[in-house]
Amino acid sequence: MNALKTPFFPVHGVIRSIIELAADNRLFEIQLQEPNGLPRCRPGQFVQLWIPGVGEAPISVCSGKVGASMELCVRRAGRVTSALFQMQEGDWLGLRGPYGNGFPVELFEGKDLVLIAGGLGVAPIRSLWQYLLDYRQKFGRLILVYGMRHSIDLLFRAEFQVLLRRRDLDVYIAAEDVVGPQLPTVSFQLGRVTDMIKLAQITPGFQAAVCGPPVMYKYVVQELRAKGMPDSNIWLSLERHMKCGIGKCGHCYVGGQFTCRAGPVFRLNDLQFLPEAIECA
Amino acid sequence: MEQCFTFEKEQFPLFFEAMSEHGTVLAPVRVSEQSFAFRPVSSAGEIAFEALRTILPPKKLFYPQRETILGYEGRTIEERKPDVKPQVLFGVHPCDLAGLGVLDAIFSSDPADSHYLARRKATIVVGLSCMPDRYCFCNSVGTDSPEKGYDVFLTDIGGSYFARVNSPAGLQLLQSRPGLMQPASGDARQQYKDFWVNRDRAFQIGFKSGNLPAIVDMEWDNPIWEELGQRCLSCGNCTPVCPTCYCFDILDVASLTGDSGERVREWDSCQFSGFAQVAGGFNFRPGPVDRLRFWYRHKLHGFEDAYGFPTCVGCGRCTVSCPAGIDDIVGVVLRLQGGQDGQGGEER
Repeated sequence: MNALKTPFFPVHGVIRSIIELAADNRLFEIQLQEPNGLPRCRPGQFVQLWIPGVGEAPISVCSGKVGASMELCVRRAGRVTSALFQMQEGDWLGLRGPYGNGFPVELFEGKDLVLIAGGLGVAPIRSLWQYLLDYRQKFGRLILVYGMRHSIDLLFRAEFQVLLRRRDLDVYIAAEDVVGPQLPTVSFQLGRVTDMIKLAQITPGFQAAVCGPPVMYKYVVQELRAKGMPDSNIWLSLERHMKCGIGKCGHCYVGGQFTCRAGPVFRLNDLQFLPEAIECA
Repeated sequence: MEQCFTFEKEQFPLFFEAMSEHGTVLAPVRVSEQSFAFRPVSSAGEIAFEALRTILPPKKLFYPQRETILGYEGRTIEERKPDVKPQVLFGVHPCDLAGLGVLDAIFSSDPADSHYLARRKATIVVGLSCMPDRYCFCNSVGTDSPEKGYDVFLTDIGGSYFARVNSPAGLQLLQSRPGLMQPASGDARQQYKDFWVNRDRAFQIGFKSGNLPAIVDMEWDNPIWEELGQRCLSCGNCTPVCPTCYCFDILDVASLTGDSGERVREWDSCQFSGFAQVAGGFNFRPGPVDRLRFWYRHKLHGFEDAYGFPTCVGCGRCTVSCPAGIDDIVGVVLRLQGGQDGQGGEER
């Protein structure tokens, strides 16, 4: 009678490495204990990370390739992430997923792309640029725009040093404020994400993939529209607190859709009839 | 052709025996002067046949307020299967049957919820007809005639019950007492039809729902949300009493030593302030106005996109349970349909 298995069953993962990226931001590499424990992952999907005794939190997958291991870029923000920051290499945790639709990488093929990340929104965007660079010849021009409030919040410093040298990728990094005793080791400009979009050579045929804090979308959308981009070319990854990841618990419900199933990546013209999705002028 | 039977009300104890044989019988019983609840009963005499709406809908029997999903000890994780025994749920009215239908659709959609379905599949549901009171409006939302979610449906046709069968298990239940059931006569069929015609005429409130999804979206900025939301206490009463509200949270309950514990699912409510809050404190629905409007839209339009149906079944529980008196769904719909000034609409 109870042949069905609960969809809430996690697989084991072990923390293989922890890298400090910035204050309160760490990159965790998680080794999956069951080799086929989780299905293949697409850029932009997320997992439910479980710390026994503490709880679960939805975390974007941050690495383009997910096989036996995956990378999660986590900011210490709440109960579960605070507990994660107490953990050491070798500790185990639970994972469910991957969930959500991810970015439409097949649709992106043959097209020019601009990736826009604000703050910690760089985590899912990183999974996308790693994927795009792995299959670089399939895509047209690539522009990466990354903005943050303070220069010391820059994540993936070492990776950007490499990316900035690539000729097949234009990188624009902006911070609203320079903070700290030394300047960051990558070149960046003062300003906001929107200033960088103004600078970048974006034409109406581009596709845009955007992830950032909730307040960012309205302004980014305005800039992209000013560049002549139609709404159908703009893809936004929305943040909600998914408790289940499988379209049941109701926490990520937006308008008529579950962000965890229909999203988290939505095409802008699909969002406009969903009340509460984003503030869109 | 659907199989229809009748049996005399005097014979109900025999029918009760047949139900008890299958498993525990759960039925509405009177728990206070004016309230009823679904409880296990051991005799027909305990059943409150007059019960219209129980405090909580029958969802609590398949989807308890709190249940353990997983347990862990050290690195070992195991599923905690629900303790499922055969049971018969008696006395479910059409609105609650529709509510179960909504939950069935949600919890059986992929990936299916094993805990809900295990209890659901072990249960025979016997529906029972009712006459509307001044809070009932199932005929406005299309849930007034029982279509699915039941095994047997009994309609009160005076001295007898008219039994419609909707599943093999239901048929078996009716036939398990030889001689109890008579094939429905022509007269009985006419009495059955008369009952439902009269019932339809007995509704005191209502609205036309055809344009409802469009109206709710059109009136997203209507001042009514501000007016009602200002009075909302965010108590969340409206959600546990709703037959189709099922939002939940899953939390860890750890042992004192921390090396073992459980993952527990609990009912949650979209009316609580932290429901739509994300890491870092940003809240997509920070105030009671946002949350009340969200709830109304979800009930009256909500699942058209995700599942293809709205979720209000017209039972009136939220209306009678709201301490602030702002869950008058019929009144609100009439005002929305009548426009900004609150005039018009089509009152019945």
